[in-house]
Amino acid sequence: MDLSAVKPRCSVPKPCNHLADYKLKYGLTGYDSLQDKFVTGPNGKTTVCTADKKIPRCFFCDGYRERLYLCLICSSVSCLDHTLLDTRSDCGHDIAVDINRSELYCGRCRDQVYDPDFDTAVVSKYKKDLIVHSNAFESIGERSSKRRRLSSAIDLDLKKWKELPCIRDQRAKSCYPIGLRGLNNLGNTCFMNSVLQALLHVPPLRNYFLSGRHNRGTCQKRSLDRFCLLCDIDIIFSAMFSGDRSPYSPAQFLYSWWQHSANLASYEQQDAHEFFISLLDGIHEKENKLRDTNNDAADCPCIAHRVFSGLLRSDVTCLTCGFTSTTYDPFMDISLHLDPSHCFSTETTNKGSKLNGSTSVSTSTLIGCLDLFTKPEKLGSDQKLHCQNCQQRQDSSKQLSIGRLPLALCLQVKRFEHSLVRKTSRKIDWHLQFPFSLDMSPYLSSSIIRKRLGNRILRFDGDETDVSADYEIFAVVTHSGMLESGHYVTYLRLKNQWYRCDDAWITEVDEATVRASQCYMVFYVQKMLYHKANDEIGCAPSSSRRDSLLSVVGCC
Amino acid sequence: MRHSVNRPPTPDAAEDQEKEPTLQEIINIKLIESGEKERLMELLRERLTECGWKDEMKALCRAFIKKKGRNNVSVDDLVHVITPKGRASVPDSVKAELLQRIRTFLNSAAL
Repeated sequence: MDLSAVKPRCSVPKPCNHLADYKLKYGLTGYDSLQDKFVTGPNGKTTVCTADKKIPRCFFCDGYRERLYLCLICSSVSCLDHTLLDTRSDCGHDIAVDINRSELYCGRCRDQVYDPDFDTAVVSKYKKDLIVHSNAFESIGERSSKRRRLSSAIDLDLKKWKELPCIRDQRAKSCYPIGLRGLNNLGNTCFMNSVLQALLHVPPLRNYFLSGRHNRGTCQKRSLDRFCLLCDIDIIFSAMFSGDRSPYSPAQFLYSWWQHSANLASYEQQDAHEFFISLLDGIHEKENKLRDTNNDAADCPCIAHRVFSGLLRSDVTCLTCGFTSTTYDPFMDISLHLDPSHCFSTETTNKGSKLNGSTSVSTSTLIGCLDLFTKPEKLGSDQKLHCQNCQQRQDSSKQLSIGRLPLALCLQVKRFEHSLVRKTSRKIDWHLQFPFSLDMSPYLSSSIIRKRLGNRILRFDGDETDVSADYEIFAVVTHSGMLESGHYVTYLRLKNQWYRCDDAWITEVDEATVRASQCYMVFYVQKMLYHKANDEIGCAPSSSRRDSLLSVVGCC
Repeated sequence: MRHSVNRPPTPDAAEDQEKEPTLQEIINIKLIESGEKERLMELLRERLTECGWKDEMKALCRAFIKKKGRNNVSVDDLVHVITPKGRASVPDSVKAELLQRIRTFLNSAAL
């Protein structure tokens, strides 16, 4: 792992001369002696607590209302006006600590200064008290699984794929990228078609099947079941990438999937997200059966997990003493509640507390939903959790963050609301703005924790410096219509051109159309995989506007 | 000078330096000791974030830093520039809510 090529998550400001001198002379002794006094509250703020309960006051003016600073050398407390007095009276007493915020201040520079060693000292006590529960995630095995994950990403890189020729269909007026083909609707199966279209173009998944990783020949010989979901998926891949542009009917796959998800086997409309999850589950089960293993989600080598599985971190903090308990859980996708920001302005203007008085209606954005997802949430008073420190049930707050990002990220927008009280379901039709390029670093555990602790400079355990947090969109599954009777359509982005996949009909569309659509599931893949995939596709779409309609018609 | 010789004169001798604590000081001490001050600070932070005050202050800081140049600004400068604007733009509803909380506290603390 070449660390020099890694982009640092935060830049460390250079220390001033006075801080540098202090460090040379005293090293970490000053910080260490303060360690016991650091107390991190439930809001993440760390204060310096003196042994006696007296309120800290400035040595020179007895003031207590201003910011107070504790000199690192002589431990005298002074307010901003008088820090200079301490500096002048005893030479070298330049560096002090803000008592309320645990931040370094240089009296001579009259400015805040930063030192990673100091931040480490501040946070070390907090980290020591953290209890980490791992659900199938051992910190000891973390390094090896990380390496395994890196190599598996490279592994999923195609080798045989390059040998397949770029098949150009002479019949088509325009040269569409390979693998773009309509799917016939077999009776309310647009939910399946839409998800399949997206999955067919997830670069690591596509490469896996196209390079023949699932060998149908050996599989049929070994397997006792008549139906193998993986074989059927492989068949679909082969058919879709064959170069034939006429719409394909995934009947065998549908039947095979019904065997797996018997409860969903019908010609009724289904939920695309439910199908997606059940399909990934089917792949996982089948691969485990073939290998005769029983893997936990976090380390499972099945293709579904290798592509989509990530780790979610949940921190539960006691609001009384600040004690935090951490849990890790694997995820295959993230379901986001819609961020009601466009309703926000109307609520607050009534109370008159909205500052600038603007009544502009803002749209909900995917970023807003992600912010909401990782926002600390106060658990209700009926959900008081037992705090180990206080030894009793206390009000707590919970905060989610991403412990590990997957290769491909599926974000589902919760548009279908089921109310248990009213015993009704409804669909939320708000338009959601979503980005084409997504930077997930603000949602990583390292960023969230760092922010919660007052923007400390930290080398975080499990810092995601080896996995990029930059994602590019490649598919959007959209839903139009009502809850009971709607239609799913997928938009695919191949070589920076968007295509609309509406069952059997494939058309080129422009960005604006995609942006205006009502997204339900948004698929992102790591940026470098996206660009690599674009190189692999081969045929460049060079259709003129007149030929934008693909000349095939399918029965529906 | 009336005051103790050990104490250097304060730069702006606006307040009387009496040996007895003022009512304000007593209230403040009571607030801190009971932990109420910390709770009020938390509430204030929450309200100021909700109504967009924090974001506006952030924007003001950014504008100031942009104007002066990143390397010519210290935290002291920012605090001095932002404080008057910040104080002036706290919404009345927030002030009212906090005052009410303090009143309630004082009634219960039976000063």
